Amino acid sequence: MLLRGTDRAALAVAFVDRLRHAGVPTGLTETGDFVHALEAGPMLTLDTLYWTARISLVRRQPDLAPFDKVFAAVFADAPPLPFIREAIAPAARRDDDVQVPVPADTDEVTDGGGLPWATLPPAVEASETNDGLAIPDRRPSALAVLAELPFDDLDPTQTELLGEALRATLTHWPTRRTRRHAANPSGRRIALRPTLARARRTGWEPVELVREKALDRPRRAVLLCDVSESMRAQATAYLHLMRAFTLVADAEVFAFATTLTRLTPALRHASAAQAVARAGELVTDRFGGTRIATNVAALLASHHGNALRGALVIVASDGWDSDPPDRMAAAMARLRRRAHRVLWLNPRAGAPGYAPRVAGMAAALPFCDRLLPAATFADLTRAAHLLQALSTRQVARSREARSGS
Amino acid sequence: MNDPDHVKSKLDAVGYLVDDGLAMAMFLAMRLGKPLLLEGEPGVGKTAAARALSMALETPLIRLQCYEGLTAGEALYEWNYQRQLLAIRLAESRHETLTDADLFTAEFLQDRPILRAVRHQGPTPPVLLIDEIDRADDEFEALLFEFLGEAAITVPELGTFTALRPPVVVLTSNRSRDLHDALRRRCLYHWIEYPAPVRAAEIVRRSVPGAAEPLIRSATEFVGRVRGLELDKAPGLAETIDWVSALSALGVADLTDAAVTGTLGTIAKTPDDRVAVASAVPQENP
Repeated sequence: MLLRGTDRAALAVAFVDRLRHAGVPTGLTETGDFVHALEAGPMLTLDTLYWTARISLVRRQPDLAPFDKVFAAVFADAPPLPFIREAIAPAARRDDDVQVPVPADTDEVTDGGGLPWATLPPAVEASETNDGLAIPDRRPSALAVLAELPFDDLDPTQTELLGEALRATLTHWPTRRTRRHAANPSGRRIALRPTLARARRTGWEPVELVREKALDRPRRAVLLCDVSESMRAQATAYLHLMRAFTLVADAEVFAFATTLTRLTPALRHASAAQAVARAGELVTDRFGGTRIATNVAALLASHHGNALRGALVIVASDGWDSDPPDRMAAAMARLRRRAHRVLWLNPRAGAPGYAPRVAGMAAALPFCDRLLPAATFADLTRAAHLLQALSTRQVARSREARSGS
Repeated sequence: MNDPDHVKSKLDAVGYLVDDGLAMAMFLAMRLGKPLLLEGEPGVGKTAAARALSMALETPLIRLQCYEGLTAGEALYEWNYQRQLLAIRLAESRHETLTDADLFTAEFLQDRPILRAVRHQGPTPPVLLIDEIDRADDEFEALLFEFLGEAAITVPELGTFTALRPPVVVLTSNRSRDLHDALRRRCLYHWIEYPAPVRAAEIVRRSVPGAAEPLIRSATEFVGRVRGLELDKAPGLAETIDWVSALSALGVADLTDAAVTGTLGTIAKTPDDRVAVASAVPQENP
């Protein structure tokens, strides 16, 4: 018999402490459960102890792998783990979040013409000729100028500023009707409980009928961003777009190059800079090749695939895909069937004379509701406005008719 | 039940095979009096586990299927408004005055699954299955906390109902939505894996008693292999059982039979999967 005469509480606390260091969030409730579970029966074999500990301490599937490691290190013959959190790869901690990398900050472009101080961004458009006499074209704000610049020309602070501005413009998110009801005078259904409560005031005669109506919720959005080599310039800006969607619409966001990484939890951080930095760390395959079709299929097959049902799906990519186009068509067809609307943001689409001739893009296009340019923040804002316009069904239908013709 | 092996043999007796992990999970859930949250791929037998548990304990199974918009009125309790209105009319005709206490009494209270489990009268506590909790919205999770933590339900007009013998609660989830940590904290957790081919064969043998032994073995092995393919929906154990039943109903002896192609609809649930699975079916050697 194992652990004869052991102080169970001390054992549990020490073991839980190791688990926490390995990144398994274990609280007092779980520790208490573990102690009670140890009392429930004799620990005859290591197996019994393993299941007792696992069932009482672990509360989510991604924590199982780190738990197994810690258990093996403590109770089995596995070599002991170094007692630091970093010793266990972050990938092991959240293995249901598929892992992919995104680029770090782009090289710092200091404003101020090489002088050792930074200046405010210009509120006037840079004039082509430097004769000093031309009247500068004034813009409503510095941001409006910046918004028209391609992403490469922005420094991280400007990108962040524009990201926040983009977030502020997302106000009327498309909604869907839910099956939950709430009191609303324009509803048709009579809410019995409040009606009867109201009737108490009128001698139990239900004079005033309380009505209820189905609630509207923001329609879920799923955003898939390409962070491969060909999209290097856009990566940081798109992270800001993803963050704006996560915060406003509770969107699920994924980055991909060769594999898929879920960035939703990382991007929820209150500080934009930190959120984007954390997301950047998560994505490990950034600036590699692209496998769009494989990643779309992986998303459909994962348990996050259910999030796509009835959602607005936005794919941000230039369409360069190393998978064959027929795979792309098959994956996009499935995506189209599950989603409410599919929009494709392409940084090259705004360029004059652009035609979707890249094989991947051409294969995906028949399954997209719209193809939108996304080379500047102004483009992204316009795309966001178009999304918000999809909120009413008529608008959506007329747009569909137009894009179909 | 006094140890996990006892749980195992009891479930075995009602035809449900469990591994050490699930047996321990059920044992601890009953011993510690905590709800058990079961997660796993679709079709690994999460719901069947709760059903088998109720059969082994010889108690009724109370089932609550979750869906979006599920409210207290469907899950916990509801007042019988029609009867309340009738009571008001009756009191009027008798020229009596009614108070709150007359209208909000136990006789007007309608039990819904969770309150029914709390108020269950009987020698053994019932098994309450809260199925696919991920399909309900977050608001509903919050409704459950009091019940999951204390096995009690508070009806504001009447007071708190506490279970004499806390029901055995099993929650299942397919992870289509991330459950709140507060819900997870109140439950014990077990992740059910796909069973290994040998155990899967054992389970299928129990569920389809008429099937031939070599057929079961090759079918479970085949399904295990098919799960490795890139499929939209990997076949679970439930699908394997359906398939073997179909095959044995057709009198098919082994997988090289031509009739197999017609039965693939039991394990492949989309057109793409059907093609992928059909190409993996072993061909007869000429």
